[in-house]
Amino acid sequence: MAKLSKSAKIYLILVFAVLYAPIFYLIFYSFNSGGTMASFEGFTWEHYGAVFNDTRLLIILMNTVIIALLSSLFSTAIGVLGAIGIVFLRNRKTRNTVLSLNTILIVSPDVIIGASFLILFTLIGVKLGFASVLISHIAFSIPIVVIMVLPKLQEMSTSLIDAATDLGASKRDILTRVIIPYIKPGIFAGFFLALTYSLDDFAVTFFVTGNGFSTLSIEIYSMARAGITLTINALSALIFVVTLGLVLGYYFFNQRTGQSPGTGGAKL
Amino acid sequence: MKEITRAAIAILLIAGILLYVVNIMEKSSATSGGGTISVYNWGEYIDPELIKQFEKETNISVVYETFDSNESMMTKIEQGGTTYDVAVPSEYAIEKMKENKLLQPIDHALIPNLKNIDPYFLDLPFDPGNEYSIPYFWGTVGIAFNPTLLDGQTFESWNDLWDPSLEQEVILVDSAREVIGLGLNSLGYSLNSTDMDELREATDKLKTMGPNVKAIIGDEIVEMMRREEAAVAVIWSGQAADVMWVNEDIDFVVPEEGSNLWFDNMIIPKTADNVEGAHAFINFMLDPEVAAQNADYVGYSTPNEKAIALMDPEVTEDKRFYPPEELRERLEVYENLGLEMLGTYNELFLEFKMDMEN
Repeated sequence: MAKLSKSAKIYLILVFAVLYAPIFYLIFYSFNSGGTMASFEGFTWEHYGAVFNDTRLLIILMNTVIIALLSSLFSTAIGVLGAIGIVFLRNRKTRNTVLSLNTILIVSPDVIIGASFLILFTLIGVKLGFASVLISHIAFSIPIVVIMVLPKLQEMSTSLIDAATDLGASKRDILTRVIIPYIKPGIFAGFFLALTYSLDDFAVTFFVTGNGFSTLSIEIYSMARAGITLTINALSALIFVVTLGLVLGYYFFNQRTGQSPGTGGAKL
Repeated sequence: MKEITRAAIAILLIAGILLYVVNIMEKSSATSGGGTISVYNWGEYIDPELIKQFEKETNISVVYETFDSNESMMTKIEQGGTTYDVAVPSEYAIEKMKENKLLQPIDHALIPNLKNIDPYFLDLPFDPGNEYSIPYFWGTVGIAFNPTLLDGQTFESWNDLWDPSLEQEVILVDSAREVIGLGLNSLGYSLNSTDMDELREATDKLKTMGPNVKAIIGDEIVEMMRREEAAVAVIWSGQAADVMWVNEDIDFVVPEEGSNLWFDNMIIPKTADNVEGAHAFINFMLDPEVAAQNADYVGYSTPNEKAIALMDPEVTEDKRFYPPEELRERLEVYENLGLEMLGTYNELFLEFKMDMEN
């Protein structure tokens, strides 16, 4: 990479400062003994203790993670198969139609998707709660996975498949030994993007939660009226640190093994 | 392919373990035998210890959920798909829910603790005879101000907001009935006025406040007052209590002309599953000690007479949050003015806001 000019560097630093300042500001106040974010009065671990004492908050946090993991897993599986299906559609027109339908789902506002799900679920009598949230998260993640996987598939030369067929590979072998290994980076990218989408989704979840099931975004939003407590700051700080740890661990692991299973996968 | 399979299995395992842990945690916090009730309340509007106490006393486990606005709560209840046994809407929402037949009558025989409530808060126009609702917390609308930013200036009347020295200092809450209401109040008219002449006069008077108005916003007011970015604000008493808790310079006053009196009340939705449990919960919340502890935690004013006797007199004798009788007489509860009149209020409020921009 060419060396950055000084002004470019300053610009970059400024951009990152803007991106990270709110997070550090929030983390800073999680150690405030004053009880609010108005002024810093002294150092305390008390809010971190409160996080671990608040069973309800911990359950909500775990629910959020469970929903994110499961929904992105299922949506990746469905999305990958869908993308493969789309690529092998013979008719150009049909293919474009299906792709456009997929794109519409990505650009349509979450509020509308959420409201539609609410109406659908109440119509067919699904009880709102874990299942309804999981289903809708899977649903809105699928188009994203499709979009992430498609470029990899389109990039793949069809002669690879022809060669495999010539060598006597069954359809199943072609799928599991040729196509999927080739698009692996796309699959992981799709999975992680779905994970993020699910973790921070508010609008859709807002409509389809119920019966005591709640995720972090909903809970924090409801708190806003009475003022968000510093417990949330502490929780956010913990989540930030864990995420940071995961990302660092991932890079460390990648450098050691020389593999890159994730987004920045090496071009084959 | 192997790697992907392994990753998928690992994710399933992690999710499974987390699910198991959540199950254990839920079981350990829940009690068995007495069934379950689900309570739908505003965020941070109950002392969590009280839920535990209720579960221990009655063996009924509580599923607790929160909402942020009357409107979203009503939608959830109306749509079904989830069954709430107790919810806590504000008075105007109760009227609407009654009209939409979303409520079921409350059996007063199952709520012996109703006798603890100050009769002043019972049998109000939005629910005569308390057929459907039981008071939870109440408050007023008033002026919060920071004397240190105003050379010690104080407020007694709504008209003080028009003081020329307050240029660009006043924040108003972005709500039609509150703002038009203060206009009406400052002229000595009723908050529930439907007289077009009075409404017109109030709007015209509000417009003359223009130079003083710094902003018309929502919940951010609390944060702005805390940070001393604003000196005066028209807000609800509960918000004022929050502000004063963190910034001791700030004072709150219910203007002498009178103001709005609002209520949040416990109701039982039509779709409730465990009606008996819901009654038990409402009755529990009306217990003097419970109500006192809750008021202490939440910081709003309790309508529970017996609870007030148990609370710190310094709080309950604070006229700003527990207005004395002669002031109470000047407080008015919002009446349902009907859709058309509400439209007129909104229109006038919009007109006022548009005038601000010029």
